[in-house]
Amino acid sequence: MTDLAALLPKSIQGWEAVQKDAVYDRQTLYDYLDGGAEVYLAFDFKNVFVRKYSGPGQNEIALDIYDMGSAADAFGVFSCDRQDEEAGVGQESEYGPGLLRFWQGPYFVSITVAGDEKEAEKAVLALGRAAVPCLGSPGAKPGLLQSLPQAGLRPNRTCYFHGVINLNNRFFLASENILNLGRETNCVLAEYGPGEAEPVRLLLVQYPGEAQARAGLESFMKSYLPEGRETGAAQTENKKWTAARARKNYVSFVFDEPSREQAEELLSAVQFPKGERP
Amino acid sequence: MTPIVTRREFVRGASLAFLGAAVRFPQEAGVAPKASRVVLVRREDALDALSQVNEEVIQGMLDEAVMRLLDQPTPAKAFSLLVRPGETVGIKTNVWSYLPTPPEVERSLKRRLVEAGVKEEDIGLDDHTVRTNPLFQKATSLMNVRPLRTHYLAGVSGCLKNYIMFAESQPALHPDSCADLGSLFFLPQVKDKTRLNVLCALTPQYYGRGPHHFNRRYVWAYKGLIVGQDPVAVDAVGLQLIMAKRRQELGPGQEVPPVPKHIQVADRKYGLGVSDLGRIELIKLGWAEEPLI
Repeated sequence: MTDLAALLPKSIQGWEAVQKDAVYDRQTLYDYLDGGAEVYLAFDFKNVFVRKYSGPGQNEIALDIYDMGSAADAFGVFSCDRQDEEAGVGQESEYGPGLLRFWQGPYFVSITVAGDEKEAEKAVLALGRAAVPCLGSPGAKPGLLQSLPQAGLRPNRTCYFHGVINLNNRFFLASENILNLGRETNCVLAEYGPGEAEPVRLLLVQYPGEAQARAGLESFMKSYLPEGRETGAAQTENKKWTAARARKNYVSFVFDEPSREQAEELLSAVQFPKGERP
Repeated sequence: MTPIVTRREFVRGASLAFLGAAVRFPQEAGVAPKASRVVLVRREDALDALSQVNEEVIQGMLDEAVMRLLDQPTPAKAFSLLVRPGETVGIKTNVWSYLPTPPEVERSLKRRLVEAGVKEEDIGLDDHTVRTNPLFQKATSLMNVRPLRTHYLAGVSGCLKNYIMFAESQPALHPDSCADLGSLFFLPQVKDKTRLNVLCALTPQYYGRGPHHFNRRYVWAYKGLIVGQDPVAVDAVGLQLIMAKRRQELGPGQEVPPVPKHIQVADRKYGLGVSDLGRIELIKLGWAEEPLI
């Protein structure tokens, strides 16, 4: 890990670093995150550097810099929790009261406030900007994102992950891991459709091999869509269509599309690597 | 492994699937069905405009809830059914820095324990070190009190999850969405000792973001306490509240916090209590604005 302790500012806009810096790895992350550790362990998380700053009143800012092992996974953990407006920090970011999140190269950064969020806002944003040069060059997003059809794609709502915990945090599918997701699978969940309506969701899963892809699809059909086993599609209880299709080591799923034809079209529009179409 | 519940069960109108109201998971042998009573008490003046807790009001809410729970006319009579003079009582609280158990609730509980004849020095208050705390090691009764919030793995953190500090290894309880949290209540240090569960819904957290899973945007002033002797039933009601708020604020797509199976598993696998809302007698007292449940 870069020597972040030496590079990062000890004070920023009147806020001073307090306590000793801490670093947690895959074995000790539980000591730092109450209940959230698995979300990071589901990625290729290496370690997290933690520095806390004290400011006016009893307010505290926590700077967490997660080394996610790759730019793809740094983007992934950022993307799975995205909700606020872009803040212009790092490669992509978001800021809402009390929380700045961004990614840069293999690092995901979270800056949180305990106390008066308004009072800390300027310092949080300044700290984020000051941290970016310490994190090195930008990195590339996961290649699987390029497989997504662009028509109707909702901006900033696409997330990348590997495991079922991240899927269920974003879109509860089932109480068990019916797609056989894990560290070896790469997944993209994207939202389509206009306005405030419930989106149509497209899930792409890249399995390690064709046999695993077939098994994942079969498990899904058995547990979730048994009436669609023959055709690959079925209308579910909300009168919308769910469909799934496998191609080599990929499986794509569409959820809650009002029209069967549209569901099939969305699946057909997926662009798999090397120009292959499912 | 528990039976699979999918999104379709919720779409089907079975949005209470995890609570057992719509999807009947098979009962394991020897688990007898029973009814559980849960009291939800709310007071508009429990918090002020800055979310500061009014201890006098909290005391009244706790008293009212426990009296109704046990059908007793006074707090003294009600608490005398929970503990006896001479007992050693551990109050399992929760010190999570972002949303801890309010000290006002802890003190209100302790006050009534003392009045019921428990010596002050025989009452312990602890969270992270309950396993090694000498008072908790010799406790004859436990009081389980904590705030209601969402959780990345378990869906909700309630009274069942509050006992995870009694486990030798907390991560060992994390697999399968913390499904086996109910087993904690059968640890020797805990078994048959829990007299009361108080789930603080004063400012519940319905959604979480960021590594620490907390942001003040996602708490609201519900100003309630959910009280019962059955931790499964108390958590089932708490989950229903969280789901109702998520549906209101986040939409039906995110109604279900991932993945609250441990409540039903505590019922169906461990026979610890009742998760089926149809078999929970929910008594609602006090402030009735936006009850959600």
